[in-house]
Amino acid sequence: MSNAHGDDRGRNDRDSKAARFVQTTVEVEGRTETRVVELPAFEPAPWTADTPLSIVGTSPPRVDAFEKVTGRARYTADIVRPGMLHAVIVRAPIAKGTLAAIDLDGARAMPGVREVMGPGDAPPATRLFRPDVSYAGQPLAAVCAESLDEAERAASHLAASLAFAVAPHAVTVDDAIAPDAPAVRPEGNTTAPDIVERGDVARGLADADVTLTREYRTQVALHSALEPHGAVCEWNGDHLTVWESTQGIFRVRSDVARALGVPQSKVRVLKDYIGGAFGAKNGAGAHTYAAALFARTLGAPVRCVNDRRAEQTDSGNRPATVQRVTIAARRDGTLTALVLDALIPLGISGWEGGPAQIFHELYACPNVRTAETCVYINAGGMQAFRGPGYVEGAFALESAMNALARQLEIDPVALRLKNLATRDERANREFSGNRLDECYAEGAKRFGWSSAVRRPPSAVSRVQRGYGMSAQTWPTGGGPPSYADVRINSDGSIDVLAGTQDLGTGARTILAQIAAEALGARLDTVHAVIGDTERLPYTGNSWGSMTTPSVGPAVRMAAEDAKAQLLEAAAQLFDTPVESLTTGASQVVSRAAPSNPLVSFADLCRKLGNVQIVGHGSRGPNPELAVVTVGAQFAEVEVDVETGVVRVLRIVAVHDGGRIINPALAESQLHGGIIQGLGYALFEERHIDRVLGVPLTVNLHDYKVPTMSDIPVIDASFLDGADPAANHVGARGIAEPPIIPTAPAIAAAVADALGVEMLELPLTPWRVLGALAR
Amino acid sequence: MRLTVNGTPREVDPSRAPTLLAALRDQLNLTGSKLGCDHGECGACTVRLDGDLVYACLTLTAACEDARVETVEGLADGNTLHPLQQAFITHDAAQCGYCTPGQLLAAAALLEHNPHPTNDEIRAAMSGNLCRCGTYPKIVTAIRAVADTPADAPADTP
Repeated sequence: MSNAHGDDRGRNDRDSKAARFVQTTVEVEGRTETRVVELPAFEPAPWTADTPLSIVGTSPPRVDAFEKVTGRARYTADIVRPGMLHAVIVRAPIAKGTLAAIDLDGARAMPGVREVMGPGDAPPATRLFRPDVSYAGQPLAAVCAESLDEAERAASHLAASLAFAVAPHAVTVDDAIAPDAPAVRPEGNTTAPDIVERGDVARGLADADVTLTREYRTQVALHSALEPHGAVCEWNGDHLTVWESTQGIFRVRSDVARALGVPQSKVRVLKDYIGGAFGAKNGAGAHTYAAALFARTLGAPVRCVNDRRAEQTDSGNRPATVQRVTIAARRDGTLTALVLDALIPLGISGWEGGPAQIFHELYACPNVRTAETCVYINAGGMQAFRGPGYVEGAFALESAMNALARQLEIDPVALRLKNLATRDERANREFSGNRLDECYAEGAKRFGWSSAVRRPPSAVSRVQRGYGMSAQTWPTGGGPPSYADVRINSDGSIDVLAGTQDLGTGARTILAQIAAEALGARLDTVHAVIGDTERLPYTGNSWGSMTTPSVGPAVRMAAEDAKAQLLEAAAQLFDTPVESLTTGASQVVSRAAPSNPLVSFADLCRKLGNVQIVGHGSRGPNPELAVVTVGAQFAEVEVDVETGVVRVLRIVAVHDGGRIINPALAESQLHGGIIQGLGYALFEERHIDRVLGVPLTVNLHDYKVPTMSDIPVIDASFLDGADPAANHVGARGIAEPPIIPTAPAIAAAVADALGVEMLELPLTPWRVLGALAR
Repeated sequence: MRLTVNGTPREVDPSRAPTLLAALRDQLNLTGSKLGCDHGECGACTVRLDGDLVYACLTLTAACEDARVETVEGLADGNTLHPLQQAFITHDAAQCGYCTPGQLLAAAALLEHNPHPTNDEIRAAMSGNLCRCGTYPKIVTAIRAVADTPADAPADTP
């Protein structure tokens, strides 16, 4: 981060002190981590809500839209290398037991087969091909052949040759916690409860006029990205190149380097386009290791891409929950206590995070106690899935709030305003900005909420209409470390270099917009280069809605640095004080006469010849503030009381995400979250056969994701504004928040239509009919 | 074996590429058509076969002899985008973009058969193409922009 320039040459708050290291807290997917980070050499002055911006805050089309609509965008499975071989992984068809037989030699002798791996053939750090089976779908062997067809035939032979000493399994939470439960893991089937408490819950319960207790259940949901996990691996001597469908190229690099025992400098990870991820593609997987190992052994490039069954079985999931909630309040609606006891069946692995955090964050309740117990079951492990924990927690918390509103005969919006959090009571700190009250007001207005809740009772009919709402919070501050460079080429065109990923969120586009804005350049001259660990500065995984608030400030700082250098060069050429100059529309202009450009970037750079201007940027530490994106959603549904079929007619969503860099792309994120939330509310559910222990929803017919026919009218927007206290771009993360309140809002609307609370997701016809029968 | 792909006669080997999708992707290097499920459930491989929409992952190459196949690579006329491609760009109707080629072909087939579809007709015609990113409302908007939908259609209906 060295820089030769002084601090008095027109930069924003530039500081010539050498970089130093400080501690900061970063929240990833709702978990707080303390990190030591480098303090940037300077921090630009924040873009406030009043800062006039001309590119940030507008909606140019995605910079990569042309590639996407022409079929030219190359995804991992589209990568073809000369002499490329194909690998297929063979997976366990049982939930628990020990592999007793597998015909590796038979497979090796089959047409086109080049190599086979089974138990003992992969480095232990890959955790591949272990003979002790602990879930159906666990990799047991892999085959590599000249064509995918030949690899699949050999894999079928291997699958047919498997024999096991089968052991008892537990694939449901009830089976795993039963007194005579089989041991899912040697360490035990449950974790010690993680208890977090503030205030005095016993006192809060004693002070209450009304106390409700409910048990809510949520299902296992599968990410179901249309592009399966996959990798292409190619060795050149001792140097490995990995094309991977991933949210985190640097994480894949460190995973592969560690597992294979090679230095990170010998591993290059590339990711151009990715066909969806949603939290399931955060590191290297069995497909990566299998491809890399075969490629090394055989001296040829190898592609390994999951089939749909593997994708729906062993690629992560949103775990189920059982949440026992007690909510206590005074007659006027003031919350006095919130209590959660949650069981979270994670599968065979996963990070121990659950639904508790939103109970501590969404409302200003003085007394809150949560206990989370994770349970291991013989099923594929969890992976973060858009809004992990908060989606599950919101269903229970917000359903309990709606039940309380019904009990107290208070408007659900009024009940929430009564308990509005004005500071982050969990971490005892102020918000950088939080306009949830405005989200309620704006959402209610757009929806017509007051007339919906005051409507007369509907006539008796087969189709009943109902209205419901829910709120949401999500930590979206992002944070360091993230680095970016901005390079001005000799024709004045601009490269933004950042080792990040665009999952379809639009990161390429918004980073180009931020750089163009900061540089005073035309957007069409800015090219964002991402997705290459060897050539680009480090940024973190694209998870936790972190990319915009983490990488955005680094890109802005790099662009400001480059702009300052460009102006210094112009000041020399025109023999004028640098303070008198600025930029706009790819021109250097005099501050005194901005309409008379002195020189275009192109002409200035031509005069400089091959002098290369490179600006460096890094993401500074976070403020001692809670940075959250909040919002409210309102749902209108119709329920057929004879069939139990729910149809969502309308969703209104209003969220506060700080500054919105590109409103059209942000609206697409709202649509995506709401539509995934609708699937979670109505039909998405992984089923495992309890007796056989094998998953049944292994394709996109049996695992139901929303189709175009399921989509309601959606009116989704962000409040105008900016959050300059969060970071100097003023933007927070926005991708995960919109999925969080959708299911509880729909469930509340169904409860409103039927007069019966909905305690379990998804709201399939038989569950709706079951609730009616209660 | 011969077939015509995007107007050009091509040779493929059905014994090495049993499905039309494998022939297009692996033998003709037309990777715009995607493999999502391999079971005709997601629509990412949607192409047109003699004008009809088919899931290329379920279509046997051997059954396509002398057939006319159109893929996303054939939608544009040189560097001039098909109106649907331009509308998908304008209305941000592609997020990750993986389902987009199939969506475009389904939309093109719809508008050829029914130039002025209602919203319900659009939804019905497009419901064989999944989009996990949830781009559906903007796909409807993009199709309607090209379809010159009659003015009586409600403007706020996705």
